[in-house]
Amino acid sequence: MWKGETVRATRSGRVLALLILFVMFVSLTLAVVGFVTRQLNATVDKQLQSAGVDAGDERMKEQLNQGKRQMLSVVITDDEEMLESLLTLPVVLLFVFKLTLRFVPLFVALMGFDQLAGELGPKSIRFLVVRLKRNTLILGKFASQVTIFSGLLFVCTLLMVLVAKALNADFAAKDVVLWTGRLLAASFVLALAYLALTTLCSALVRSGAVSLLLNIMVLFGIWALAFFGEYFTLPGEVVDASSLKSMITDESPLAYTRYLSVWHYGQDLLHPDWTRFLTAAVVHVGFALVFLGAAQLVMKKRDL
Amino acid sequence: MSQTAIRLDRLSKHFGPKRAVDDVSFEVQAGHCYGLIGPNGAGKTTTFSMMTGYLFPTSGTISILGVDPFEPGALKGKVGVLPQDAILPPTWPVGALLTYYGELSGLPSPEAEARRVLEKVQLPETWGLYSNQLSHGMAKRVSMAQALMGSPPVIFLDEPTAGLDPKIAASVRQVIRELKGQHTVVVSSHNLQELEELCDATAILDKGKLVSAATMSELTGQMAEFRVQLARGEVPTFEVKALSGVKDARIEPNNVLCVSFDGKTIQPEEIITRTCGLLVERKVLFTGVWRGKKLEEKVLQLT
Repeated sequence: MWKGETVRATRSGRVLALLILFVMFVSLTLAVVGFVTRQLNATVDKQLQSAGVDAGDERMKEQLNQGKRQMLSVVITDDEEMLESLLTLPVVLLFVFKLTLRFVPLFVALMGFDQLAGELGPKSIRFLVVRLKRNTLILGKFASQVTIFSGLLFVCTLLMVLVAKALNADFAAKDVVLWTGRLLAASFVLALAYLALTTLCSALVRSGAVSLLLNIMVLFGIWALAFFGEYFTLPGEVVDASSLKSMITDESPLAYTRYLSVWHYGQDLLHPDWTRFLTAAVVHVGFALVFLGAAQLVMKKRDL
Repeated sequence: MSQTAIRLDRLSKHFGPKRAVDDVSFEVQAGHCYGLIGPNGAGKTTTFSMMTGYLFPTSGTISILGVDPFEPGALKGKVGVLPQDAILPPTWPVGALLTYYGELSGLPSPEAEARRVLEKVQLPETWGLYSNQLSHGMAKRVSMAQALMGSPPVIFLDEPTAGLDPKIAASVRQVIRELKGQHTVVVSSHNLQELEELCDATAILDKGKLVSAATMSELTGQMAEFRVQLARGEVPTFEVKALSGVKDARIEPNNVLCVSFDGKTIQPEEIITRTCGLLVERKVLFTGVWRGKKLEEKVLQLT
């Protein structure tokens, strides 16, 4: 089932279209972020030159790192350990990867919205269900989507890393290997939950278009829930004064709603502390299992 | 073979307030070709879809070869289905698609089996064609081919000849004829002549209810009456009625003599021969004799 569905999905042409779209998106983001960081670097270099300071000076490097750290603490995270780790990653790669991750759920939805709905509408699913258990059908479809999307993620992540390496001579080979692995692991684990969500949405309705719409609405729901939870601070939570979060002063138990959204756990997928990473990974896998379980239940109970 | 292959017991399916199938029960004997008959909206396809495990019944039970079709994997390899309105996936070449279905069914040589069934429906030339390149009739036969893969003991065919030209329809009927005896075949069709020719027994549905479930000879009265198409001459009705075993004789519209007889005490061939002999003796000319009544007449009478 998995092999057949993977071959079938790759035959459809949509995978190629999505790969091109994904690569175009990554390239455009790389170009924009690369241009902005290059301009920033040039401006800083110019200012240093006019001030008669050597950019290669160790103290200057330290100051630049401090600047980068402050910027990351405002935009990305206020977690000290995470900041330390992210400093070894070129800014261009970090921003492009983060942006890509934001769009992963949408790409997943675009790729798999009709995996089941597209079979339920024209009833071609009837040719399959006399040969397969309904839960095998769900797992086969999901596994083929995971396979294809992993391929897409691999190509795009590799592209990002290679471009980042080309733009940043000081991006050490050891870090290239380490970060490639971490970025791939993070994006794969994150995608799992959304792939399962797309399978669920596709099992619920007979029309591909409605399935896509439903999927996007649920994604907005997930994002809204996460942002709503982040709008408040947890009772007793200590917030770093330099971070954006410090602007939020309302302490409320409503802040706990953030934990209901899978989106909330995405941040820790790049955390250098393995326990934090594993917790986030387990939560993502858990959400994936919940969505898949719901898809199984829907498929088990529904008329075809 | 006289075992029951399919059993429906008080089967109902409601779509909201609409009762698409209402309290339907019948049995299909193993090796029989069984027809599902009824006008549009009678509940044929809904009944068919419940038997194949596509639709869950609102109430009642179904047993196919002794198992519940809704038990996961229960029908794998045991049932072949030609669904009426299912569209073949367009992104597959026919050969690859059938081979894939064969793999999913766990057949030992899926490609060889795919080629065999395509030969059976006389479409070997479609092997490399994509299913969206097929005409309606070709797609229907490819769908039929997938139902025959692995020679399952029970085969469900929903409108197998709908939209086919007469020559191809005849070849499909021949395929069904060859399946009889070795497979239990359930055929749903509007073509009553076709069903009369193919089926051993039928269920007639109307407005979701079962109006009759009987063998074809019971339904058409083949063991109870025969008809003679008269041409010229005065029919001696009283003399025909006086023949041993005859229960009644009457003239129907279109100059047809209808003779009812007791099928338990006399063989049809004996009473037909004696009646025809009497007509010849009385110089009555006739152009044809047939047993029972046409299935179409019976269905029109019941629905």
